[in-house]
Amino acid sequence: MNLNFTFSTNSLAGFRRIFAKIKPETWVALLSLAFAILASAYSYRHDYIITYGDAESHLNIAKRVIDSLTPSFAQLGGIWLPLPHLLLIPFVHLNFLWRSGLAGSIVSGLCFIVSAVYLYKLAFLLTDSDGAAWFAALAFILNPNVLYLQSTPMTELTLIVFFILSSYFFVRHLFNQKDMLALLSAAAFGFLAALSRYDGWFLVGLEAVALVVINFPYQLNFQKFWQDKKISQLLSERLGKEEFKSRWRQMEGSVILFSTLAFLGVVLWLGWGWLILGDPLYFTHSQFSAKSQQLGWLAKGELPAYHSLWTSFVYYCVASLDNIGVILFVLSLAGLATYLFKSNNRHKLMAAMVLLTPFVFYVATLYLGQSIMFIPGLTPSTFEWTLFNARYGVMMVPVAAIFAGYLFYTSKPGIKTLIVCLLIFQVALFGIGYSKVITLDDGTSGLSQAKRPDAERWLAKNYDGGLVLLDDYSRLISIIRSDIPMQNVIYIGNKPYWDQSLQTPERYAKWIIVQQNDAIWESIYQPPVMQGRLYKYFQKVYTSPDILIFKRNPDVPAPGY
Amino acid sequence: MKNKIAILFIVIIAAVLYGLTLRGQAGNALPSNEFNGSFDSNGNAKNAMAFELSPERGRFVHLVALGENHTFALNQQLAKIAYPDVGYYGNQYFSFFEPGIAYMALPFYLLGKTFNLSQVFSFGFISLVSILALLFLYKISRKILKLPIWASVAAVLIFAFGSTAWSYAITLYQHHVTVFLMLSGFYAVWKFNQSQKYGWLYAAYAGIAYATSITIDSPNAILLMPVALYLIISAVRIVKEQRDLTRISLRIGALAGLIGFCLAISPLLYFNQYYLGSWHTLNGSLPNYQANSATTTAQILPAYPDPDTATEPPTKNIVGFFREQSIPRGFTVLLFSTDRGLFVFAPIFLLALLGIYYLFHQDIALESGILLALLATNVLLYSSWGDPWGGWAYGPRYLIPSMSILSLFVAVALANNAKSLWFKALTFLLFAYSSAIALLGAITTNADPSKTEALVLGTGYNFMRNWDFLMDGHSGSFLYITYFSKLVSLKEYFFIIYVFLLLLALFILAMESNES
Repeated sequence: MNLNFTFSTNSLAGFRRIFAKIKPETWVALLSLAFAILASAYSYRHDYIITYGDAESHLNIAKRVIDSLTPSFAQLGGIWLPLPHLLLIPFVHLNFLWRSGLAGSIVSGLCFIVSAVYLYKLAFLLTDSDGAAWFAALAFILNPNVLYLQSTPMTELTLIVFFILSSYFFVRHLFNQKDMLALLSAAAFGFLAALSRYDGWFLVGLEAVALVVINFPYQLNFQKFWQDKKISQLLSERLGKEEFKSRWRQMEGSVILFSTLAFLGVVLWLGWGWLILGDPLYFTHSQFSAKSQQLGWLAKGELPAYHSLWTSFVYYCVASLDNIGVILFVLSLAGLATYLFKSNNRHKLMAAMVLLTPFVFYVATLYLGQSIMFIPGLTPSTFEWTLFNARYGVMMVPVAAIFAGYLFYTSKPGIKTLIVCLLIFQVALFGIGYSKVITLDDGTSGLSQAKRPDAERWLAKNYDGGLVLLDDYSRLISIIRSDIPMQNVIYIGNKPYWDQSLQTPERYAKWIIVQQNDAIWESIYQPPVMQGRLYKYFQKVYTSPDILIFKRNPDVPAPGY
Repeated sequence: MKNKIAILFIVIIAAVLYGLTLRGQAGNALPSNEFNGSFDSNGNAKNAMAFELSPERGRFVHLVALGENHTFALNQQLAKIAYPDVGYYGNQYFSFFEPGIAYMALPFYLLGKTFNLSQVFSFGFISLVSILALLFLYKISRKILKLPIWASVAAVLIFAFGSTAWSYAITLYQHHVTVFLMLSGFYAVWKFNQSQKYGWLYAAYAGIAYATSITIDSPNAILLMPVALYLIISAVRIVKEQRDLTRISLRIGALAGLIGFCLAISPLLYFNQYYLGSWHTLNGSLPNYQANSATTTAQILPAYPDPDTATEPPTKNIVGFFREQSIPRGFTVLLFSTDRGLFVFAPIFLLALLGIYYLFHQDIALESGILLALLATNVLLYSSWGDPWGGWAYGPRYLIPSMSILSLFVAVALANNAKSLWFKALTFLLFAYSSAIALLGAITTNADPSKTEALVLGTGYNFMRNWDFLMDGHSGSFLYITYFSKLVSLKEYFFIIYVFLLLLALFILAMESNES
């Protein structure tokens, strides 16, 4: 016996009309906006927005461009790519948005919304199915790791949005090679991705490779190769001389058109390094570069994936799993397999390659020692830290959402319901704490966590104006939390104040904050002569095992300079 | 007719092989006789004996408590035997295992007691349930996956005697009861889909099976969730009838599943309320009894815990035992490690990957999707468990439900390569290896430490440790100990059963040509 509810779809006409009036993309935007606001409010209420040390650094870089002792674009520095900081500038102008970190929430939140919309469009492009596109968008929007990062000033969402936008337009071009506007758009967003994070460089590189492959005069026939298992079958479509030339020119045109714009960001950054810092490759081998930091870990024997392809692969797989959630991870693997086996699109391999760029990038950088990750359960417990940079895996969330959406698209109705239930179950697993929000854990208890020394609270209570000399690179205290105005800070980027202060500390600074082994320690505190000078003009007003704070003694006048 | 013969064949073969390897000793196991002499002079459990490990002891002591003392709670004497898996509430001790198995096996205990074989009969209950599970495995293979008889029998043979599941069909563990409830519940939902008139009976059974599985092992609430989902999905149909008309159809019979679930789960809730003070307190969440520095059962549990602290014990959160971050380690341990790895102990299951490929290559039916979901749930659930090794154990015992499903997928691969002699030869070789390891465990001991522990203790691990037991003639088999040890050595006993198994495998693989 069945209980039947039969209804006329006309009775839902009112809802349908409202729903149809607004495009699905707009619904996705509204939904993601609602979740972005809720997640940011949650992070704000629990003080999670600037838990990462890097989060404050991003805010401070942007702030210094407009509001510091020496404001200028040179404050953007030469290590982190500039676009995320440029996007923050309009918002950090307001002190409240800077100190609360909400400036970052706004930028990352906007990126999140646009990402969700274009993820929907990308999934729709691959499947031509509203249901699959909605599934992909929801899998992305409901991911707590994405939701947390979009509430912070971290740069992942900035990259994700340009990665998705560039991929969307690139796949559109793959599916219709006459659509040159799509190619130009892919290049333009690739350009922006390349100015957001170094992952973007890899993205535009792989897109360029894909362009060469799909336009190559000898069409590569993977299907025949797979069938006959002969390499000669790869180049099975031989062309006449004229046609070859014509195709070659077509390839040249496409690649040059794409590369000119897409690689401009890379060229600009190299030029910036050369002009401002005197070394185009400053970002890769300066003392502040990731590689230099990784060398320290290597010396300690704590760079687990270095020169081990398998370990790099496993680390990034597990980081992805931790960010995506185990159920969606499994669904996306099944979706990837289904896509590769079942899609009839000629360029499915190239499309998959572009989408999997983050995976290849991170495995490669882990292998080369350019990046480092500690993942609980993988990293030996004998290491000093077992959680660090797990957020890199968040880059795979959009990719997983798309492939899980593809699985949904190819499934029968019963299986579709099962897949939707599994997505709900995944969200529940995050809710009950089985699946940890690892990006938040890293910020609150991992190595990425910003230090909160007692000195910071002391300074917030006792700071009474004047310039503060500190080595911001070692992140000894938070400028944001200690209530020091940014224009009162002397750090390495304030020339000539910094260099002169290391010679004559009493010249500008009213306060000096020293941490063991930082630049000020080595220049002012450790050399006996300089230490004598320090104690002559300053009084030690705060002492802790790691941090010393000195305040200018007003009774000892400074010599003339 | 052929199906009936196949079923009879399965029952006879399983009964014989399980019978030959069933663990035990003659006599009614009681604390007064140190459970048929299962402990050495220091009070430590002897290996290759019926009560070698705490899971079987922890369940059997409750049988003794129910059969002899007419209460589920353990007295101090029984709690000592169940140690270390003992918790307390108030002035009473309980093992950490859910009560379902003890209550189900009670009739067998009482019956066995009359023959002075209480332990053998109790353990035999698991073998009996396992045979029922094998029948459902066969049914699923035949009716749902539409595989030929020979491939379906092969699936049964691989699960029962080509995997380490064998070692747990002959002792008092929950795994085979879980498999039975999982397979029968799944089959019931499929029958619910097929039949109209008595569909509600199948739905009710599925609900009962799901609830019963929770009464024997609480993680089954997650493990069998795909079966519950399958029932829900099967019950609801959305049909577009005309251009503007949509019909949502709910099969009322499915509600019987909900009623069955509620009825079957209520005894557990009552039990929890009665013994543990709250309907939602589970045995596994009771606080551990700390045995100080005692190392032997004679020394531990000197007195009841302090009543002041025991009345409101600091219960543990069972969900907290499962952590997604443990998955990488657990996954590796359960599938690839040398001390527990599924593919190390039973490489025959490598062929299941091919079977999954064949299923993927076709349009995935809902039933295949549910089987895959059950498999994935099992692997992921226990990969995230804090102790994927399952204590001292033989092979990946937590994956026994998966082994049953993987056997079906191996059968799919076999059926798709029915004409390939090479494939059959490969299958035979893999089965020969896997069944040798399975038999080795079944005939000797389940008490294998993890590799790390073995290195510390200076003992062997995995099946190589069992090999030593075989060479030394240490067997846990009731029939061997009681009767056959006078006739043949353990090595000969092993050899006879093994050759019989191989001949059986050859016969089944050869059946294909006759059937076609």
